Amino acid sequence: MFCEKSLKLIKELDRSQEAMPPFDDDGVRQVFEEMRGLYDQNVAAANDTTADPDGTAISGIAIRHAALERNKRCLLAYAYNRILRVRNMRWQFGPILPHDIKANFNEPEVQWFNNYNICVARYFKSIGAHGLDLTADVKPPKSLYVEVRSLTDYGKLELDNGEVVLLKKHSTHLMSRAQCEPLITQGVLEQISN
Amino acid sequence: MDPSEVEFIAEKERVSIVPNFNNATVHLISGDVGPFRAGLPVNVPVWMALNLRQRQKCRILAPDWLDVDKLEALKEEEKASKYFTKMPSEHYMVVAQLILSAVEDDIPRIEEIRMAVKNLWDVRISKLRSSVDTFIKSGGSHARLDYLTTMEINSVRPLLPHALDFIDRLNKASEGAPRRDLSQD
Amino acid sequence: MEDTFGDDDFFSDGDGEPITAQKVLQTLEEAWLNEKFCPDLLPSQADYVECMMEQIQQMEENVNKLKKNDFRVEVHHMELARIRYTITSYLRSRLEKIEKNTAYILEQEALRGPENSYLSEGELIFARDFLALQENHCKQLVLQHVPPPFQDFMPTQQSLVPNLRSHVFLRAKKDVDGVVIEGDRDSRDEEVDLEENSQHIMQYKPIANFVKDGTIQLI
Repeated sequence: MFCEKSLKLIKELDRSQEAMPPFDDDGVRQVFEEMRGLYDQNVAAANDTTADPDGTAISGIAIRHAALERNKRCLLAYAYNRILRVRNMRWQFGPILPHDIKANFNEPEVQWFNNYNICVARYFKSIGAHGLDLTADVKPPKSLYVEVRSLTDYGKLELDNGEVVLLKKHSTHLMSRAQCEPLITQGVLEQISN
Repeated sequence: MDPSEVEFIAEKERVSIVPNFNNATVHLISGDVGPFRAGLPVNVPVWMALNLRQRQKCRILAPDWLDVDKLEALKEEEKASKYFTKMPSEHYMVVAQLILSAVEDDIPRIEEIRMAVKNLWDVRISKLRSSVDTFIKSGGSHARLDYLTTMEINSVRPLLPHALDFIDRLNKASEGAPRRDLSQD
Repeated sequence: MEDTFGDDDFFSDGDGEPITAQKVLQTLEEAWLNEKFCPDLLPSQADYVECMMEQIQQMEENVNKLKKNDFRVEVHHMELARIRYTITSYLRSRLEKIEKNTAYILEQEALRGPENSYLSEGELIFARDFLALQENHCKQLVLQHVPPPFQDFMPTQQSLVPNLRSHVFLRAKKDVDGVVIEGDRDSRDEEVDLEENSQHIMQYKPIANFVKDGTIQLI
């Protein structure tokens, strides 16, 4: 059947659990080959001057032509949907991607990513007088305060409002999100609730 | 819309608080708040009330509708009415949730209030489900939805608009096709 | 203690009428929800965005002058975070549509002409860059490897077009009379009047102009 290989490309990309599966060079090349075969047959059929009384030849051309269009559409869909993933990674990870993520990009995709970075940066810069990074503030802000518990005897800490607290193991405090987040990452504090 | 966004919008509603400090009017971009006089109630946006309460700078006064008897009455009215009734707050569900979780100690009978809010919500949501069902079966493309609150609308999104879009697509697609009378098949 | 900033910041709109920062914010909040729920790209509110960003900056400077332990510091910070979210979320919604329907949006923009543009300058540049990026990518990866008659990049065929017949939820801010809902072959066109403050679900297309002129709010 025509177009089975190109459909398979899309289906497999869709099914893939990976953030970015490797580019299926082999699958894509097979579709190119199928297209070349179909096209050569059509050129030959069009150049054939023998009579076509029952329209068999012309129907064959029409079917092969439709298959060519469909293959092209599937290939573009495959390329486009991979790019969508690349795009989302820019928004998720920022302009510099972790190595393991980038490993499965092919060369044109790396180029696309770099150029997209430039477009996005130029656009962000154009907003307002000083620019605005739209990858920040992605979630509605919640209260600036969270309740935290100290996991270590950390000692004294000056809060944003000037107050000084003593972080002892198991002691609990109310702290601004901005201030406690790095300490949570370092394992000094844990968040108890919102 | 993500529930956190519905919450974000609802947090603009104003509620009464009793501050324990004095301060002149605060000029926010979204409008003036205050002045604050210790012990005297003042209206502030929900997000601000929750913040001040966390910092132990105020007590939140539950809105008067956040009361078992009033909520019961609203529920009965809702049951009796064919249409949706007007809620005391455009965001009654979110405001109730936010306030009740912030004021555990300040309000008596809090579990009963929670239950009453949930019962009211359930009555409205089941009414909404059956109206959606009737509406879809009627083949209509337009419906009036007065007094539905943001969170209730959000509960049928994206399913309801998507279903209607899909029906519309099928209708459009069949317009070109010849009509077939099934009785003659 | 008197709070001496923030209350009388005025900004002038196109007609020279002064409007308050509060009004600017309200306009942006409405534009944010409209953009979020609208299948099509709406006219840009870039002027309001710019004005509000100036307000934010000014407020930040003022707040920095307050003492660290002043209770207002946090209240102002929270409000600024809320406004920043509204603005970025609004602009993200627009950018997502521009990326999804690039060719269609550029085509519509060209038909409207520069006096009636819906895109901000920055968005227009982005849209053009983005389309060029897509074209280049399609060529490199696919088109240059297929037989010659199939090598054309046809932007309007290859990009998605928004469905203007999508159903949306809305509230009429004023009375709107005579909205015509197109029927299909089983039903005739139907004319409805939308009363002030009434809420509805219906197709976007017949009410598109009312969303644009502000008589209808998407919800």
